[in-house]
Amino acid sequence: MKKEEYKLKKITIGAIISEPGSSIKYKTGSWRSYKPILTEFTPPCTRECPARIKVREYISLIKEKHFEEAYKLLKDKIPFPVTIGRVCHHPCEKKCYRGQFDEPIAINILKRFIADYALKNKKKPSKVEITKKEKIAIIGSGPAGLSAAYKLVKMGYSVTVFEALPVAGGIPRFGIPDYRLPKNVLETEIDDIKSLGVEIKLNTSITDIKHLRKQYEAVFIAVGVQKSRKLNVPGEELDGVICGLEFLKSLNLEKKVSLGKKVIVIGGGNVATDVARSALRLGAETFIVYRRSRKEMPAIKEGVEEAEREGVQIKYLASPKKILGTNKVSGIECVRMKLGEPDESGRKRPIPIEGSEFVIEADTIILAIGEYPDFSFLKGSVKTEKQRIVVDPKSLATDQPGVFAGGDVVTGPATVIEAIAQGTKAAVCIDRYLRGEPMKYGEEALPLIELEKMNLSMVETKSRIKSHSLPVKERMGNFKEVNLGFTEEEALEEAERCLSCGSCKLCKLCSIYCPDNAAKMGETEAEINLDYCKGCGICENECPCGVIIMELEVK
Amino acid sequence: MKSVIEEVELLAPGHRMCAGCGLAISTRLALNVAGINTIVVLPTGCLEVTTTQYPETSWRVPFIHVAFENAAAVASGIDVALEMMGRKGINVLAIGGDGGTFDIGFQALSGMFERGHRVTYICHDNEAYMNTGIQRSSATPYAAWTTTSPYGRYSIGKKKRKKPIGIIAVAHDIPYVATATIAYYEDYQRKVKKALSMDGPAFIHVLVPCPTGWRFPPDKTVEISRLAVETGVFVLWEVEGGRMENLKVTVKPKKRKPVEEYLMPQRRFSHLFKPERRQDVIDKIQRTIDEKCERYGL
Amino acid sequence: MVKKVIEGQQAIATGVKLCRPKVIASYPITPSTHVPEMLSKFVANGELEAGFINVESEHSAISACIGAQATGVRTFTATASQGLALMHEVLYIAAGMRLPIVMSVANRALSAPINIWCDNNDSMAERDTGWLQFYCENAQEAIDLIIQAYKIAENKEVLLPAMVIIDAYNLTHTMEVVDVPSQEDVDKFQPPYKPVYAYLDPDRPITQGSFGTPEYYMEFKYSQQRAMENAKKVIDDVFEEFEKIFGRKYEKVECYKTSDAEIILLCLGSMSGTAKEAVDRLREKGIKVGLAKITVFRPFPEEVVEVTKNARVLAILDRNISLGYTGVLRTEVASAFVNLSKRPLIANFIVGLGGRDVTLEDFYEIVERKIPEFKKTKRLVEWINVKGGA
Repeated sequence: MKKEEYKLKKITIGAIISEPGSSIKYKTGSWRSYKPILTEFTPPCTRECPARIKVREYISLIKEKHFEEAYKLLKDKIPFPVTIGRVCHHPCEKKCYRGQFDEPIAINILKRFIADYALKNKKKPSKVEITKKEKIAIIGSGPAGLSAAYKLVKMGYSVTVFEALPVAGGIPRFGIPDYRLPKNVLETEIDDIKSLGVEIKLNTSITDIKHLRKQYEAVFIAVGVQKSRKLNVPGEELDGVICGLEFLKSLNLEKKVSLGKKVIVIGGGNVATDVARSALRLGAETFIVYRRSRKEMPAIKEGVEEAEREGVQIKYLASPKKILGTNKVSGIECVRMKLGEPDESGRKRPIPIEGSEFVIEADTIILAIGEYPDFSFLKGSVKTEKQRIVVDPKSLATDQPGVFAGGDVVTGPATVIEAIAQGTKAAVCIDRYLRGEPMKYGEEALPLIELEKMNLSMVETKSRIKSHSLPVKERMGNFKEVNLGFTEEEALEEAERCLSCGSCKLCKLCSIYCPDNAAKMGETEAEINLDYCKGCGICENECPCGVIIMELEVK
Repeated sequence: MKSVIEEVELLAPGHRMCAGCGLAISTRLALNVAGINTIVVLPTGCLEVTTTQYPETSWRVPFIHVAFENAAAVASGIDVALEMMGRKGINVLAIGGDGGTFDIGFQALSGMFERGHRVTYICHDNEAYMNTGIQRSSATPYAAWTTTSPYGRYSIGKKKRKKPIGIIAVAHDIPYVATATIAYYEDYQRKVKKALSMDGPAFIHVLVPCPTGWRFPPDKTVEISRLAVETGVFVLWEVEGGRMENLKVTVKPKKRKPVEEYLMPQRRFSHLFKPERRQDVIDKIQRTIDEKCERYGL
Repeated sequence: MVKKVIEGQQAIATGVKLCRPKVIASYPITPSTHVPEMLSKFVANGELEAGFINVESEHSAISACIGAQATGVRTFTATASQGLALMHEVLYIAAGMRLPIVMSVANRALSAPINIWCDNNDSMAERDTGWLQFYCENAQEAIDLIIQAYKIAENKEVLLPAMVIIDAYNLTHTMEVVDVPSQEDVDKFQPPYKPVYAYLDPDRPITQGSFGTPEYYMEFKYSQQRAMENAKKVIDDVFEEFEKIFGRKYEKVECYKTSDAEIILLCLGSMSGTAKEAVDRLREKGIKVGLAKITVFRPFPEEVVEVTKNARVLAILDRNISLGYTGVLRTEVASAFVNLSKRPLIANFIVGLGGRDVTLEDFYEIVERKIPEFKKTKRLVEWINVKGGA
């Protein structure tokens, strides 16, 4: 029966009746002049991460309980997800848009959660076949060196890492105490790198770069920093005055350090808090002397908080003037400071207050006011300046062809994630160098999502989930890990707080608010049925992730 | 409660409602809670003419439209017929506009309440007769422009406040009365569910912004709905058992925004801002809201 | 069958009860009020298993009936005069939606001035709504036509609502002897209601009451017209079937001594009884007069032409007035002759508005004085027994 006849038959039946849902025949999409386009943006966490870790993506996988996939996503990017989940200073959290709404997502603890999950369940990776003829030498087995090795070996290069110390891992291995980073964690991740085929030569100091360069088609210098800065005050030579990094190295490698009853740590960075908290665990009454106020302290906030909770006494706005004692340290004379105008670092410059001197007694004084590299081994083979190797910031290439440098030797003392980022960047540029391509590193990044594009009206305030930590009284006299992370339930709850800035989180709001039932949830993102979409733009206006953009439709 | 938007939509697309129409959103939200075992009754109005253009229909549930003022009476007949047929578990859902509810259909509505039919009546309040082209109704708010409450030398728009239909419904001593709006869809859907579970009449007064009649861009429909709540222009509450002392405010704005934020984006209020700012009128509206919110403990 | 002495409204209510409607929605209005009263009582004491909706207006009464009938049950409502006028817009809808609702109408004058007595203006005003209209002469016809109206309305070739109309007071409040059919016979005649095509059912979610654009509206009206055409035969069939079971014969146009009549009176409702007596008395005087009584007014009974065309004068008595023209029956009947060359002279007399008695004397006056005058004057319409009238 023809359509018209059918309609007429229905009329002649008499009643005015229509078949259910038959209006789908009428395509209201023809009304539209603007159409919604699903667009992906870079979230602030990834933008802020030196290693550009896909934070939003792995949190989204956590939400779906795809922990394995989340781990793979991380591990694909960096060789140390488990380590970084413990020691990262997480600049991502500072820029997390949720922080402007209530509290930032506990990104680092979530990362640690999946890394720990993987640690329990993962298998050793298998060796990568060497497909490239060029061989690469890496000096230094810290996060920068090993990250470069990890990337390069996966590209099919033969990679050899030279390490002067008897252990691999760099600062995370010898400079971070066990209560923050248990050594087996790091070792597992280094083992993974070795399993891929990277050779690590321990106890091997390199003294001749030029020679090495002849043996290898490319060299990456990532030796990090070894030396502690001096205070330049009288009494610094006294017995009982030691360097922070040296102290941590002894603690981590030899496990035998004697400090006496009272310890004073000078400095405000992560080394200072690590040293102080370690000294406390060894039974000493511990002070930190820092010349600015808490706000200016460069150490990770959690580290400072935990130090105080554990009983480290921090003397803010105090600066050492003289170390007291004859032969052996007996104390320190400090002067009180006040903050003046900001200096070139942007922090307020401390100014001594005349006549405010005071004395603290001490058996040991540990200096943690900064570290710098030992460039004696370079013998002028590459250009250095102000205790840093000079590199092209785009490619990390030194002035010597085929010689690259990265990590703390380039940036000065920085964080683990920054070192990883440098290693990764170096690997990419070394590859490009060897392939004869222009050396530059830069991922094709999508534009940053603007917070204003995200409609958070329907988001309910919810506090960040607190991770578990070892009770303070159980921390003394041992180096048991303090932060215990999230349970699965907590991780899921915290992951749920992620706003998924700039990427569809399948929240359904567009579908709920679409007057024309044109928005549906697809596998990974919303899908708009343009047959019916009238182009009102409600989806764009309401999208909490900011991913829908209305574009003028050209017909 | 998470919103359930069914795979098979009970209000099919292809309807002729304007781009960004609040009615469409509200109807979808309500239907998805009511489910397929629902008979829908509509009076004449935007929703009716845009969804039932013969030989097509957007409805996937049994649907009837009779006239403008009698949806509640038609629903009463359906209710009793279902009872006499022994058919249980079927929702009778009447969905009227403000004209068909506040004004011309008010008598039938009141009768339906009084007789105690098991009917859930949703009033889609878009604050004017939109289907006929934006004429004032008793739901039009004070100072709003419509084609029959224009502003001019002797007029500031609509002269009086809107009729408090929800409170009037409560006074009928019916089992359930609530207010809702589309932005707060979870609150709304919970209320629809509750209303349908009542053994008697239930009334939900839903504020549905109309981009065409309120004169704002169509992408702002949900935003305006939300602003109505955030400014206290529209308070979301529910009353069970016909007792005002049981009134419960279900969505409390964290911090009440000034009414100007609600008025400004709508060109039906543009005469309050230009050519000269009518602070006296804006203040009067704000005062009224403040008084109301005080009563509701907001 | 039992003979009972009952009033017209009771006959209606009893007829309705025998048809077992499931939903009744009615609003009181004089002189129709006894119908809902009695039906509520039947429901209250269990004689009738139905839902009675005490609506708040006639508008809602017919609306509720539409809702119920569209859901799939037999319904009933009763009203009169202003109540019917208040239903007006909805009557079209009931018919347009093809819902076979049955309603009794007590013919009562319309305001102003307010008046509670008999005339036909209220129902005549609804002739274009698409309802079947049955006019009763007495209480017996009331009960019988209610029963038959359901059967005709519900026939799937028809599916139109029906009004059964009885005169205010003359019938509504007058006690008569009525043969009340047995439930058994009515059940045989009237099977349980089964909705056809359109009903509200979640298992079959159709849309009723759509928006009809110019592309379709006319077809809907045409289909209603065809249903009215179909109704003509269905009415004959149902009248015949009714006669077989109940022994009483109904015709769309009942003829009383018309075959040789030179003057045929034409009217409807209760005055037909008076008219019959007048015919007998006038025939005693040697005047060849007869009566054609309209029982079915919608669909229009074209038979009226056949049975009256041989008279010299067709005198149409209208208990209504289309102000500015003539009585409604006259315009309708006269137009039926329009293409015939041989036709009677058609006179129109307006009688009994607002409950004024139409007496034997009025008929004598019409036949003996007014018709001879009319033959000369050919006046379009004449008001009988009106003070200050011509």
